Amino acid sequence: MQDYKMTQITPDEIVPLAERMRRDGRALVMIHAFTEPDGTMHVSWDYAVGNCVESYYVLGETTLPTISHIYDSAAEWPELELHELLGLRFEGLDMSRRLFLPEELLETQGKGQILVTPLSELVERRDAAAAAKAAPAEAAEAAPAEAAPAEAAADEEKEART
Amino acid sequence: MSYIIPIGPYHPALEEPVHTRLYTDGEIIRDADVFVGYNHRGIEKLATERNAIQTLVLVERVCGICSHSHAFTYAMAVEAINKIEVPRRGQYLRVITAELERLHSHTLWLGIALHLIGHDSMFMRVWDVRETIMDMLETLTGNRVNYAMVTIGGARRDISDELRHDFTEKLKTLVPVLDRLKEIALTDKTIALRTKGIGILTTEDAIRMGAVGPHARASGVHVDVRKDAPYSCYDEFDFDAPVVDSGDVFARVVVRVLECYESAKILLQAMENLPEGPIHLGNKLPRIAAGEFVSRHEAPRGQVIHKVVGNNQLTNHRVSIHVPTFKNVATIPTMLRGNSVADAGLIIASIDPCFSCLDR
Repeated sequence: MQDYKMTQITPDEIVPLAERMRRDGRALVMIHAFTEPDGTMHVSWDYAVGNCVESYYVLGETTLPTISHIYDSAAEWPELELHELLGLRFEGLDMSRRLFLPEELLETQGKGQILVTPLSELVERRDAAAAAKAAPAEAAEAAPAEAAPAEAAADEEKEART
Repeated sequence: MSYIIPIGPYHPALEEPVHTRLYTDGEIIRDADVFVGYNHRGIEKLATERNAIQTLVLVERVCGICSHSHAFTYAMAVEAINKIEVPRRGQYLRVITAELERLHSHTLWLGIALHLIGHDSMFMRVWDVRETIMDMLETLTGNRVNYAMVTIGGARRDISDELRHDFTEKLKTLVPVLDRLKEIALTDKTIALRTKGIGILTTEDAIRMGAVGPHARASGVHVDVRKDAPYSCYDEFDFDAPVVDSGDVFARVVVRVLECYESAKILLQAMENLPEGPIHLGNKLPRIAAGEFVSRHEAPRGQVIHKVVGNNQLTNHRVSIHVPTFKNVATIPTMLRGNSVADAGLIIASIDPCFSCLDR
């Protein structure tokens, strides 16, 4: 049966780990990323070791070192995808081309509209907006608290129907 | 004289949208670039707003040819997170559909490759075989494209003893036809001239770029998820994963023809040893437990990966889908270098690309 193992690492360990895995002849299954329910960015490097997928993940980082010089296109393509669709930045990655998004959106050409806003910027903007509304912050915080039970009720209802 | 020749995104030699830019010196390709993303539908995002059963329907629409692979892989991930044990008959039915799908996908690719080579009479013969397999899939699942055979905790439709007998007969008559196809593929002069020594991907390059599936096996890399990380009931079957090490288009034709035999072998064993018992665990809609899992399945084109993250909700927190073409397309520029422009269409098609899968 297939197995799955998770290990948390720090950003400094990403490149040495990739070098070790490459030396041992392990395949890079994929680089995945998603935002945790609390808004933390979760980026994981998944390697196939026998019948087990070993997932090494980094929490809360949006700028990470690239491993495309170690794993070539097997790492370069996922990194480009995460850059375009999730706004992650990979230091040392050749970002002079687009993977999924149209080529006219190249940032280096200085023309056209840039649709990709890095997540770090979005977080900054959100924090700035929150700071501007410092006074009515309590009211804003109360609103999501009310929304949560409503969601749970909708969930229960969905389950009851099935 | 050097030219830049664009091929695609819409071109008669391509089945699906991809844009390839060839940098040429006269007839010879010096370098190439591949551009994808013409078919992006945001399926991963849609999946985060759907429950497990709805997502099964959705992920089946990722690909028109290997649709069952996606449903199979997604179901495996959810079952692993929720610790659901699938009944053995359900496992067998999933594998039967997966292997029929592999047969149909490989014969489809062989037909297209032979058409591009210019051997249209064999293209017709191969697609005649494919029609038999499509009929089998239709009688088993009721559909020719999206089979809807998988549910969380089993398979959706059972196979009767009568149908099982019928399938065994059909598969037995299929083997001599495959023999004839193999003989033509190995000895025909047209095929040899158009494919031997064309679009070479060396073993080192294949490993470095992480090529998967028949494409990697044609370059002498021993990778097959069914062998490396057995899942479902694949460990109960006796079969091989053929490996050829010449790495050219001819090797890819040979690997796929040989794999058709292995699929037929698995199917015959499955028909004979099909266990009795329930096919699924009832129709309860599962809540996806908190946790994550990466499941892998050897689709016709290679390793399909689904990462599912659950948050104890009815909906998925995250579904991340990665397909074999994602890895294999990156090898196209390497294969094109040094070949003539006339072979470009065949070399691009030789990885059995599925851009619908890639863009999701």
